[in-house]
Amino acid sequence: MEFSQFVQNLLNGLAIGSVYAIFALGYTLVFSILGIINFAHGAVFTLGAYFTYTLVVGEFSNNGLLKGVALFPDGSPLSGNPLTFALATLLGAAGAGLIAVLIERLAFRPMRSRGADPLLALVSSLGVALVIVNLIQLLVGAEIYNFPSDAYGETPPALSFTLGGKIVIIRTVQVIIFAVSLVMLAVLGYVIGRTKIGKALRAVAENPTTASLLGISVDRFIVITFFLSGFVGGLAGTLVGTAFGVAGPYFGVTYGLKGLAVIVLGGLGSIPGAVLGGLVIGLAEAFVPAEYSAYKDAVAFALLFVILLVRPQGLLGRAAIQKV
Amino acid sequence: MIRTRTSAQFSAALLLSLGLTQAQKVETVTIGVAVAQTSNTALLGQEQVIGARFAEKFLNGRGGINGTPFKLAFQDTGGDEAGAINAFQNLITKDRVVGIVGPTLSQQAFASDPIAERAKVPVLGPSNTAKGIPQIGDFIARVSAPVAVVAPNAVRQALKLDPKIKEVAVLYAQNDAFSTSETGTFQQTVKDQGLTLSTVQRFQTTDTDFTTQVQAVLNAKVDLVIISGLAADGGNLVKQLRQLGYKGLIIGGNGLNTSNMFPVCQKLCDGVIIAQAYSPAQASAANQVFVKEYRAQYKKDPPQFAAQAYAGVQVMVEALKALDRKKKLNTYDLDDLRVALNKQILAGKYNTPLGTISFDKEGELIQKEFYVAQIKMRDAKNGSFVYLK
Repeated sequence: MEFSQFVQNLLNGLAIGSVYAIFALGYTLVFSILGIINFAHGAVFTLGAYFTYTLVVGEFSNNGLLKGVALFPDGSPLSGNPLTFALATLLGAAGAGLIAVLIERLAFRPMRSRGADPLLALVSSLGVALVIVNLIQLLVGAEIYNFPSDAYGETPPALSFTLGGKIVIIRTVQVIIFAVSLVMLAVLGYVIGRTKIGKALRAVAENPTTASLLGISVDRFIVITFFLSGFVGGLAGTLVGTAFGVAGPYFGVTYGLKGLAVIVLGGLGSIPGAVLGGLVIGLAEAFVPAEYSAYKDAVAFALLFVILLVRPQGLLGRAAIQKV
Repeated sequence: MIRTRTSAQFSAALLLSLGLTQAQKVETVTIGVAVAQTSNTALLGQEQVIGARFAEKFLNGRGGINGTPFKLAFQDTGGDEAGAINAFQNLITKDRVVGIVGPTLSQQAFASDPIAERAKVPVLGPSNTAKGIPQIGDFIARVSAPVAVVAPNAVRQALKLDPKIKEVAVLYAQNDAFSTSETGTFQQTVKDQGLTLSTVQRFQTTDTDFTTQVQAVLNAKVDLVIISGLAADGGNLVKQLRQLGYKGLIIGGNGLNTSNMFPVCQKLCDGVIIAQAYSPAQASAANQVFVKEYRAQYKKDPPQFAAQAYAGVQVMVEALKALDRKKKLNTYDLDDLRVALNKQILAGKYNTPLGTISFDKEGELIQKEFYVAQIKMRDAKNGSFVYLK
């Protein structure tokens, strides 16, 4: 492989890998508290992108119940420059966080209160995911929605240079995605590692019964976990949507599957593992040769398979201790 | 009332138990529309729903079938074969349709058309462009021109615009049967025109990030890029090609022949050449009335998928009108009407928005006019396909 191609792949892989990482963090947060996989996380990712779109454009096309609706006939106050778009992105992510809280109330809490098998909660979250995806389609159709060009998707490349006669180009949106992901990871790391909320979350994750005896409201912290999970999932949805467009209600399905691969690869329940897993899968995909790039998903999952054969607990996961 | 219903049910049960079918006259003429209203394919199917509904309203407003309105029954096929089979079965047995316009995808047609063939129900494929569709059976025809006829026109047109074109990159969605079929035609055309096929890149219709493919295209230093995909992925590919600095001509296949692409690549769609089986610029009176009414209602030009679905319904209605003139439709048994309708569809000639069309004896479309258009964007959202002569 030529050096220019190596540099290009490395930069592409870091950008997409950082999105995988923050998206997978949502899975990890819920798994570390409840010990279950929230299959609706991919749908929350999609919702985040749609919420932001609604805030910055608010116009719906020819299909769905909202066809022809224009929420801002004179243009959205949140559109027009990157700063207002950033605000809309945060609000969109917060909306996705609230939906995740609702999912917890409807799909997980009733199961938990009846002491149901975690497998049932998994199936119930899968059902919620399908309902959300179909609801989006019912409301706004299957059209592709794009953020306006001032939402930094259309800006000129951040970096363009020639290495050994070949072009290396970095899109501005790739740099923004990488930067936002780093900030998000740092903030989450700080919240979970250094704040009282983080300590309480870790206590609930360690042992909910003991945490409850220590005066921690387990239900409240589960709600906080779901909000954070939905927030990062929704944020990832908008970031991807900004770079590539919101490609319909099924937008989050592939990311949902890939997020699962990321957390398994990194180690279930491990936050640094989710970050590492995201970057590894992003880079693995980026290094698939161009003529085989249609098979990059298969390569990512094959890598997962191989690593799990060698290290079943994932890259940074802890091996289960068997009591004898 | 209850007694009447019970006795009717008893009679029906008795007939069924004796193995007899109750011959029923056709009271209301219902045409089935089985397209993808949900799933990933809904982007195309929802345009077809608009086209079919538009035909129902417009043609009924102009007298329906010689003064009698007809009805459309819609069934959602989803994006897979099982959905298409289910939709066809429902339309045939539950909605008791005289004929079916559908399904959306060729690979769905290969699964569901044999159901209609066995039930002797005429089918008009509105967007089934793969090889072998009309050959599924006597009752299967299509109003969508096969891809092999449409695609080469675009390459010839690109060479007219830039005779210096030498190196060509071809990209296609390898998980879509239609795109893989179309790319074969494009690649053959490239060779036939004496051009060099510098790189062939594959992608998936579900992909959003095309950095790898775009990089390969840029490094191959090509003069022309040909894309076979669908609106979402194809539009994104165009966008990323332009954003990353590709300045040459781009040809899009039939899957990109929809204004749904405009919001994806926005201003960067400008200049993309599209081979079309339908053009809003087609001058016939039938098309211009259709375009005018469509624009008034939807504030944009009708896309090809809507026009083909409209044409499918129109062909069924005109064939029914012709039959009705010979013998009143309400005197037919449903089974007889379906058989007669199939014969009439294949025998007729129709002035549709696609131009004048007819069918050969196998049900293959005979369409005289094809188009090549270039996308002209007015702003970030609105654009049009400008017909290239």
